[in-house]
Amino acid sequence: MSTRVGILGVGQTSYRRHHADKSSAELIFEAVEAALRDADVDVADVDVVLAGVAPDALAGENSVERTAMIGAGKPLLRINTGGVTGSSTAFAGASYVASGRARIALVFALERMGQATTSQQVFNTIFDPVYEKDFPLTTITMAALRASMLMRMYGYTERHWASIASRNYRNALRNPLAHIHRDLSPEDILASPLLAWPIHRFEACPMSEGAVALVLASEDVIGDRDAAWMQGFASRSDAYAMGDRFHRPEGTLVDLLSLQLAAKQAYADAGIDDPRRQLDVVELYSPFSSAEAMTYPALGLTEAHDGPAFVEAQEVDLSLPRFNPSGGPQAANPVSATAMVRIAECALQVLERAGDRQVEDVRRAVATGQGGATQFSTLCVLGSDRPE
Amino acid sequence: MTTASDLITIKGNWSFDYTYFAGETASRFFKELREHKRVMGTRCPSCERVLVPARAFCDACFCRTGDWVEVGPQGVLETFTVITAAFPGLPEPPVVLAYATLDGADTALVNLITGLDASDVAGTAERLMAQPRVELRFIDEPQGRITDFSFEIVQG
Amino acid sequence: MHGASGRRSDPVGRARSECEQSIGEGMRSRALLQGRGGVTGERPGVYVHGTALEITWRDATRNLGELIFDVVDGAVRDSGIGMQSVDSVVLAAHDLVDGRSLSSMVTAPAAGAYLRDEIRFGDDSAGAFAAAVTRLEAGHARCSIVAGWGRSSEHDPDRVSQALFDPFWQRPLGMRELDVSALRAQAWRLRHPGSSGWDDVVAASDSRATRARANPRAVSHGGHVADVPPLMPAGSMPVLADVVVAVVLSTEPSPIRVAGLGLSSEPYLVGDRDLVAMPALRTAARLALAEAGASAEQLDVVELDGLTLLDEAISLEAVGRAAPGQGLARLSADDAVNASGGGAAGYCAPAMGLTRIVEAALRLGPGGSGAQRAMATGSSVVGGQTQTAVVLEAA
Repeated sequence: MSTRVGILGVGQTSYRRHHADKSSAELIFEAVEAALRDADVDVADVDVVLAGVAPDALAGENSVERTAMIGAGKPLLRINTGGVTGSSTAFAGASYVASGRARIALVFALERMGQATTSQQVFNTIFDPVYEKDFPLTTITMAALRASMLMRMYGYTERHWASIASRNYRNALRNPLAHIHRDLSPEDILASPLLAWPIHRFEACPMSEGAVALVLASEDVIGDRDAAWMQGFASRSDAYAMGDRFHRPEGTLVDLLSLQLAAKQAYADAGIDDPRRQLDVVELYSPFSSAEAMTYPALGLTEAHDGPAFVEAQEVDLSLPRFNPSGGPQAANPVSATAMVRIAECALQVLERAGDRQVEDVRRAVATGQGGATQFSTLCVLGSDRPE
Repeated sequence: MTTASDLITIKGNWSFDYTYFAGETASRFFKELREHKRVMGTRCPSCERVLVPARAFCDACFCRTGDWVEVGPQGVLETFTVITAAFPGLPEPPVVLAYATLDGADTALVNLITGLDASDVAGTAERLMAQPRVELRFIDEPQGRITDFSFEIVQG
Repeated sequence: MHGASGRRSDPVGRARSECEQSIGEGMRSRALLQGRGGVTGERPGVYVHGTALEITWRDATRNLGELIFDVVDGAVRDSGIGMQSVDSVVLAAHDLVDGRSLSSMVTAPAAGAYLRDEIRFGDDSAGAFAAAVTRLEAGHARCSIVAGWGRSSEHDPDRVSQALFDPFWQRPLGMRELDVSALRAQAWRLRHPGSSGWDDVVAASDSRATRARANPRAVSHGGHVADVPPLMPAGSMPVLADVVVAVVLSTEPSPIRVAGLGLSSEPYLVGDRDLVAMPALRTAARLALAEAGASAEQLDVVELDGLTLLDEAISLEAVGRAAPGQGLARLSADDAVNASGGGAAGYCAPAMGLTRIVEAALRLGPGGSGAQRAMATGSSVVGGQTQTAVVLEAA
């Protein structure tokens, strides 16, 4: 018995460096309350709660999700898959509903890194203590290793990375929830300090905290109501070691095999065979502007070697999908939540509740998720039409 | 009404001690560094890839690995970055971090590139974008740690 | 150019074509499921095909990934299903237990996640088992590995457990999981004055130790028994060990069927809870038994998770298998309950719920002791704040 699942409501706190006036439980409550209100669903009707919280070390609270119980006595499961936590959580909620064991699932994700002094020390601990911890492997250097490889293989330049970042910041100006509201030109971005060549400071994501929640419901509950239908979703995990991904017939490290495979399945389920034409909005989990370059070919939007031209075309070709109308992770990166924020923003676009950042005529939107050193990838297709 | 000055914060420290078991395979890999100044991989009997650093199992084929194989001492530079910003607990910049596939290996290995002056970042980047060959450079007294060696650009 | 001379098989290509094949098959099975009547609420059955459990202590020959590989490989071999048919990996592990943030980066591939759909739950492994069941019932997977682990020898459970308590109300008082167990035990004594008392503890502790010794899967040497907190009886502590456990589930029939699932939760602050009544476990067990159409007394096998002997005993009351105040007495007298030895056979959160499930499954049907129906429970962090109950039946 596999029922179709749709998103009825979305709730988000704003994303900022510190929410000094809120405890972790209060942040969760704010997002959940907003989602229930947006969905017009009462907490009593929620059958299961799934919580996404990534490394506990960022919050400094072990298993912080259980400090904010939603209703009384409901099942609660906690997911931690790093950067894809938010999407893994949404998918697990969708499975619960699709199985028939829940009619309504409440999923939320919390990032509390405002309580951390530095995130990079925490991120360094994601690497293998036996072989890798002695090296400056961080999210920034991981991204830089890929960016330099993309430049060597496909002819990207520093200018491409800067223009992608500029587009994200510009979009974020219309998103009142975003962390960063600055209109930065590519020149401004290239002038910002170099962190690890070729990555400049303004091409990296901020440290943001906040919470997001979604109300997922079965087709019976949704009935004739507007919903953002989960038409297809998939997740793939790759080998751990970056070094293992260089020499494969399917493509090298920057060809992002896990996202390719996730897209292939999700597109098949959603009936997408011409993504460039069929997708209206794409929310990318790329915490560094250069990381977007790996997603375009993986999503079937362009060939890898045409990537630089594809970036340039985004500024002029209105037939292309709109990228990151929310501003994306460059404008707000609440790590545990970011992948669910991408889904939430796509849902808002499909539901036509995206306010100033609403794109016109959105029938289908795609949200990606990225975790580990591009080890985990997720893709979710949301649409205004109930799946067949 | 709570004003900003009424908001309480509490300082905390998050530090945990661990004892990680490296296992037989990694232990032997480090012993080979320390006693023989050589980098070893293991071969998967199914796909026949030589995995470096040595592993006990191949995750792609999901089976135990077999033979031990020495790799290097030279190899191909796959990608690099020049780190210019300081991070707490990590080496002083500029630091060149790179992945290289040693001759005979099917996977790339991470380490630092030493023996070059990376203070001219743009010049260093241009030089490394040309993918010069690299070779292993061991310290005089290896300790059985991954930092016993680094990569150096092969001259000429 | 790289590595061996001669022909090499291509694991990525193989994985990709398996993935494509599984997409095709998945779509067909989804279509099949959609064709079934949703009105009657028919769900496809979920069956246990393979199990593996290793409880060790300080095995320096294997790192965590290698331990996981051996156990997952063991479960897959036990199932007789080839790895190529597995399309889902559901894990339960905790970063602070594993000693690194996002520990699943290193451990997921060891559990068979390479180019597969993988998800890692951050609390008790019985909850992950339940989630895996929903994936199969929803048609989102056809065959799933479920695995959980924790190495007590690699981390400091007391330090990790202190971090579970919020920095404002509970952590400043130095609370740990063991302290919640101790509070629960005292509350139970207060509620049943003049009842069994600590005399029954000796009998229950002895029978638990005897059962653990008879269990071939119990930790054979080493393990760590923590100091007993003041006011807790001797012999009530778990034997901390390195636990790695895995099962293989599928919608294809096998001799062991998942007959019922129940999950529930309690408030976060310990002061908000009824520690003795354990309402989350009470509800979870009730739901699982109702789905299976059985009562607690009708179970042939009961495997209850609990940090201490007292938690196990009080849990026995909560699931309805012992009268209030009689948990300890019933625990030693009832051979069907925790025949594995429970926490005395080896303990490390979050591996315990799935370990109880495996111990229950092994006793079912012709391969086991001929039992027909079993229930296993899994208890989460922060003093069992969330609980999972699973009923298995010999099919």
